[in-house]
Amino acid sequence: MRIVFCGVGALGSTAAVLCRSLGAELRLVDFDRVETKNLAAQSFVKQSIGKNKAEALKLQFWNFWTVKVEALGVRVVDDNVAEVCAGADLIVDCFDNRASREVLSAHARAHHTPLVHAALAADGSFGLVRWDERFTPDAEDHAGQATCEGGEHLPFIGLLASALARAIQEFVKNGRRRDAMVSLSAVTTL
Amino acid sequence: MILNITWNGVSADTEVNVDDRVSDRDVKRIAVELIRSGGVSGLHIRDLASDAFEHFVVDRFDTPEGGQRLFLRPKVPFGA
Repeated sequence: MRIVFCGVGALGSTAAVLCRSLGAELRLVDFDRVETKNLAAQSFVKQSIGKNKAEALKLQFWNFWTVKVEALGVRVVDDNVAEVCAGADLIVDCFDNRASREVLSAHARAHHTPLVHAALAADGSFGLVRWDERFTPDAEDHAGQATCEGGEHLPFIGLLASALARAIQEFVKNGRRRDAMVSLSAVTTL
Repeated sequence: MILNITWNGVSADTEVNVDDRVSDRDVKRIAVELIRSGGVSGLHIRDLASDAFEHFVVDRFDTPEGGQRLFLRPKVPFGA
């Protein structure tokens, strides 16, 4: 089982870490680099600063838990999505924008590859885990809308990442595709 | 039909008597009225703004029983 995590920022890095014991081959994908401000809400450490996020997380998987994973430090676009997702038995979307989510959906639907999305609201009060067959990506209210600057929403991100990791675990175990709605007061599996 | 409303981190179900073709605008308007009137358990806000759900999304899913279930929720554009 090969799982490709697309986007390893706040949500993706936290969920990927929670999937380290699944026994699956993990591939981490992110073009971005770790900045000091990311340490507040993402699963990176001081030594990660300046490194590509996928590469930095790969190092942490090995150094902390002796788990080998693959890292691709690229931006996912139409031209490379097939290469990025090659051999994937499951794609996990933790991107932060609609255009990138649509690239993954188009690829997954064309190749019949299971794809699960996770996404959260700007105010950190609500999030979704939803399989691609029931997912439509939302746009930002305005361009450049920020979320989780300074780690304010980290507990909620942890909650949503846990729901995502649990959905992935269930898929790996028995193929079931279960959605979840996550609010500050409850996690509701559907 | 069941309408699930999420507001300020709290989600609650409520029964609404509407047609399957009810518009998103009407779902949002009904939700405001229900919350103002105390018709949604755990979500009673007398002074909820009329445009409280302007930027929210209405999801519509078919149920195993053959009906529809509505979810009124905040947009979720973010991840990484």
